[in-house]
Amino acid sequence: MSMDPSPLLLFEQVSKWFGPVLGLNQITLELTGGITGLVGANGAGKSTLIRLATGQSRPSLGRVTVRGVDAWDWRARRLVGYCPDHDAFYEDMTGRDFVHAMARLCGYPRADARRRADSTLDLVGMADRADRKLRGYSKGMRQRVKLAQALVHDPELLVLDEPLGGIDPVGRQEMLDLFRRLAASGKCLLVSSHELEELEKLTNHVAVMARGRIAAVGTLQQIRDLMDDFPLSVRIEVDHPRELARHLLAMPDVVGVDVEAEGVVVRARHPQKFFRAFGTLVVETELDVRRLDPLDDSAHAILGYLLGGSGKT
Amino acid sequence: MPPASDALLRYRPWRGTLRSPIFGALAMGRVSLRLMVRRRLFWGLYGLALMVFFFFFYGQYLVVWIQQQTAGQTVFFGGMPVKAADLTKFLDRLALNGSGHTFANYIWFQGYIAMIVLALAGAVLVGNDFHHGSLPYYLSKPIARRHYVLGKCLGIAMFINLLTTVPGVVLYIQAGLLYDWKTYYADHLRELAGIFGYGATLTVALSLLLVATAVGVRRTVPLVMVWTGIFVLCRMLGGFLVDGQNLDPRWRLIDFWNDLYLVGLGCLGVDRATLRPPAQPEVWEAALVVGGVCIACVLYLRRRIHAVEIVS
Repeated sequence: MSMDPSPLLLFEQVSKWFGPVLGLNQITLELTGGITGLVGANGAGKSTLIRLATGQSRPSLGRVTVRGVDAWDWRARRLVGYCPDHDAFYEDMTGRDFVHAMARLCGYPRADARRRADSTLDLVGMADRADRKLRGYSKGMRQRVKLAQALVHDPELLVLDEPLGGIDPVGRQEMLDLFRRLAASGKCLLVSSHELEELEKLTNHVAVMARGRIAAVGTLQQIRDLMDDFPLSVRIEVDHPRELARHLLAMPDVVGVDVEAEGVVVRARHPQKFFRAFGTLVVETELDVRRLDPLDDSAHAILGYLLGGSGKT
Repeated sequence: MPPASDALLRYRPWRGTLRSPIFGALAMGRVSLRLMVRRRLFWGLYGLALMVFFFFFYGQYLVVWIQQQTAGQTVFFGGMPVKAADLTKFLDRLALNGSGHTFANYIWFQGYIAMIVLALAGAVLVGNDFHHGSLPYYLSKPIARRHYVLGKCLGIAMFINLLTTVPGVVLYIQAGLLYDWKTYYADHLRELAGIFGYGATLTVALSLLLVATAVGVRRTVPLVMVWTGIFVLCRMLGGFLVDGQNLDPRWRLIDFWNDLYLVGLGCLGVDRATLRPPAQPEVWEAALVVGGVCIACVLYLRRRIHAVEIVS
């Protein structure tokens, strides 16, 4: 890991216009490590942000730096690995040749490039299939080769655009495990994905984008706690719902309770304070709580609240 | 996928120093060359190029052999007695005698084949990077935009030189061995320099022109049409204006292929009086046009590639 004190990826008041269209609006974002999910609806600006981070595009205003080096500068890209969402390979090449060519492009000598390509293909689980031509690869295999080419020069920052698209469930789990291990080994991952359930399994830290802005950044819990306008809904299954409802309505953070046959659905502000108070209540009243199920603290629900829609991306 | 415990075992942090992006451009050149060689569509043209080479190679040998062995003899050709030396008269136009014209003619013919292959391969080499979106793979690596252009030009340059300069040098070596090598190599150094000069002129001009047109039009058919316009229509028009309408020979400067040929002849030190057709512009004028086209291509590429941003 680098000892450089500069943030690994830093967006400073970055705006990007495409003609009259404002793609990104005054983005400020800092990544130092771990895995960060990048979520948002189509057209929210995720791809633009990724292109700026990987030096594919230049900001109209503001500055994007990687360890203090302008992201547009080729030197910055020694620290960045990029796995694009689309695959446009030379189909006549084998997977191994492609990754090897990408390693040579990074500046590795021939023997080192061969070794790096082999070890990276091994890492993504493609070692045994790397000598087949790319045109014969399945979508999942192409994703793995794309990931291999992004990892081949051992970047500190790995930017992954829809890395799980087209991969079967078993493969997804393997990839998620790999991402976690890479993060544990000191790499910083920025993962853009519409697969919110998978993203939630991977990381709790997300940046939510909406209309060219960062709507929120932090852990899902932190973001949820800040959303005072949308009280957290929790379904609680108990034997005596009416008695529980009476106790809940006496709590300061509770704004509403719906009584159902099997329990209650309570809406509360400040979730952390509520859960602490609820724990105390259960101990004091000896209520027999069978199940406690937060209904809208998932990434889907949070995104839906932030974007004013259903949460679908 | 290997078990979680050892998956990162072989994938270790890189402790060394990565080389300059120039080496990245070289790698890109090699990949481009491999792409051109692998296309079976072009193998027929490569075969034709090989035939042209063998024609010149064995033609030189045949001419020398006839001159030395049977020049004074009479042979029967279609029942008619013919001097053996007269049988090779049809080869005189190609000047298969190890002179500057030999190499100029050879590079002229091979250059045509190279030009046709490049017109067909331009979309594969450069256009598809834009059209199909391969560019992010290149530009996400530690190379600058200029290294991308350099890499593509290097690939094209390797290809042109494999078809023109390298076999040209082989013909030069062969000519020395056929004649008196002790004096030939010393007396014909200008020709050797001319082979390299003509090859370099073709290399620089065609690679820049190809990358520039491929960046502009991207698809194979429009690219072939543009190149046909430059190398066929302009050539015909130049010939019509100078030879047909008896206008100033400078009108032939619109024939870019002829300009390259004139520069090549200038490098080879060929006497201007022996040129065909005789009404030709000055070599320096042709060199100015070639230089101007190259500069225009560089400026265009600088505008289009240097500032390229992936936006879709």
